[in-house]
Formats: sequence, C-alpha cells, structure tokens
Amino acid sequence: MRILLVDDEEEFVATLAERLSLRDIEADWVTSAREAEKIADTRHYDLVVLDVKMPHMGGRQLKQLLEKKMPGIKTIYLTGHGSEEDYKAGSAEAEYYLMKPININDLIDKINDALAT
Amino acid sequence: MTIQTDPLGAAGLTFFSKISASISHEIKNSLAVINESAGYLEDVTLMTRKGLPLDPERLGALASTMLKQVQRTNTIIKNMNRLAHSLDEDYRRVDLGELGELMAHLSERTLVTKGFRLTLTAPAQPVSVITHPFFLQNLIWLTLNFAMSVCGESKTILMAPSKNAAGAEICFSGLDRITEEMVQDFLAQGGRLLLDALNASCHTATGQGRLTLSLPEDIHQLKAS
Repeated sequence: MRILLVDDEEEFVATLAERLSLRDIEADWVTSAREAEKIADTRHYDLVVLDVKMPHMGGRQLKQLLEKKMPGIKTIYLTGHGSEEDYKAGSAEAEYYLMKPININDLIDKINDALAT
Repeated sequence: MTIQTDPLGAAGLTFFSKISASISHEIKNSLAVINESAGYLEDVTLMTRKGLPLDPERLGALASTMLKQVQRTNTIIKNMNRLAHSLDEDYRRVDLGELGELMAHLSERTLVTKGFRLTLTAPAQPVSVITHPFFLQNLIWLTLNFAMSVCGESKTILMAPSKNAAGAEICFSGLDRITEEMVQDFLAQGGRLLLDALNASCHTATGQGRLTLSLPEDIHQLKAS
C-alpha cells in the first residue's frame, strides 16, 4: 500500500508521514496541490489524504484532478475547518472526513477500511 | 411573527463569526502539529524501550517545533482577544497602524487560502483617530473581501494607513479590475452602512486600482462633503 499526504502544514504532514512509516505504511508527503499533481505523474498511490483548505487549490478540487490521473484512488479528507456545509459535502465525496488533530490509530483504521472497500 | 434585524449588528455578527471560524481553524492546525510531534515522541519512547538508539537532533527539532506552535497559538489567541475587546468601548482613539496589523493577521488565512497576499505598509509616524474600533475592523474586513474580487493578476493587495487633511485614510491598492459599478455594489452590500456608522467616506481611483477609506479625526465631527 502506498499513500500520499497533502497538507500545507509542513511540520504536521512530515511528522505524520514519519509516524506512518514507523508503522510500516509507506507515505509520501507534499505541501501543495501543485506538488501533488506533479508527484502523481511519477508514482501511483492507492490512497490520498487531503487537507480540505489549502492555498491556491483546496483538497476537494485536487481530489478531482487526482482521480483523473489515478482512477479508483481512495480519498480521506483531513481538516481543521469544521463547518457543517464542508462536513456534509466532504463526507459525501470522500471515503472519510476527519477532523484535526487526529489519533494516528484512528487514521490507520480508516485507511485500512477505505482500501478494503 | 416578524423578526426585526439590526443591519449593523447583523454585519458585525457575520464578521465576528467568520473571523472566529478562521481562528478556530488556525488553532486546530497548530494543535495538529503539536499532536503529531507529541505522538512521535511517544513512538520514539517505545522504540527506545525496545533498545533502539535515541536521535538527539530529531528530539531537539521536535521540541523546537512544539515551542514554535505554542508561540503561534499564543499570537492567534492574543489577536482574538484584541478583537473581542474592541467592543469594550463605543469610541476611542485607535492607532491605525496597529489596527491594520491586527486585521492583516486576522484576515491572513482567508486571503492565503484564496491565493491572495496582503502587504501592509506601516505609516512612518503613528496615525490615529477617534472612532468605533469594531465597526472599523468590520469595514476593513469587508473591504479586503471586496479587494480580493477586484484584485489584479499579482493577487497582491496593498493596505496603507496615513494621515490626511480630515483625519486619516486607509488606502487599498492593487485592485486592477475595480470599476465604479463594482464599488457601488460593495457599498450596497454593507459598505455604505459601515461608512455611515463611522462618519467616513470612500473614494475610488478606478484607473489606478485604488480605493481609499477616509476617516474623520473624531467620529463625532461633521462629515466633510
């Protein structure tokens, strides 16, 4: 399993990737939609964890672009933004919509569930 | 039953709730970084117990990250507190350089998320007026939102407070796509209400991509025509 983490909070996303790798989950990370598009041209991912609110392009728009490059890719949204509207829209589009801060074991459970479907 | 709404109060609540949502988002982001750093410390503690060596460099970097995030959150909360206390008094002398800085901080996330940048030019000398701080913050926020809709290709909005003959002004530039019609829409959608409450006026230089809010030295002064 290979996953991609996209979040503009570098210290968050880098540490999360490191913690996932300690649990034998191969995770690459980038801090913008532009970088995500670029890396998706060179590697295949089974699942992407996207920050909903990012500068220039948010996770919801990025999801559509990544799906074109990697049909069938699973998505988990991760956000600090808690509006009801975003939650409803995000939950309908992605496998899971999680709020920061997260418990890493919960995230791993959701990753496994998403990849099992 | 007819619900009576106070337009100025409603505008203020909208402003306050948008800023509160943005602040809570920022705090959550900061907490998420601290959470992952603490989680990593927990991970390495477990690994050390199993006999794996500690990496002092990595531990030092984690401590530094957490301290930086505590500082970041503290600044966010301080700004939130300053905004909340701006309703303590109806009128007081307000330093426009300080207020501009506060609004730049409070609006940063909203602007950055939409791909914009705000550059505040601090006045060389302190510029202050007697005004209603909360209404002025609300007007600046509304103007910044309008500025994003008319900003040029550079996606950079410049905000500069300065003294003028009547009292002071706050100039917004970089608004390359601004037209008189758009300004009228902006005024109709809450801008006029706040300008009147502040006894202030608005001037546009459409050819130069500039909009200026002019404030009297004292809000109780008769408005200059």
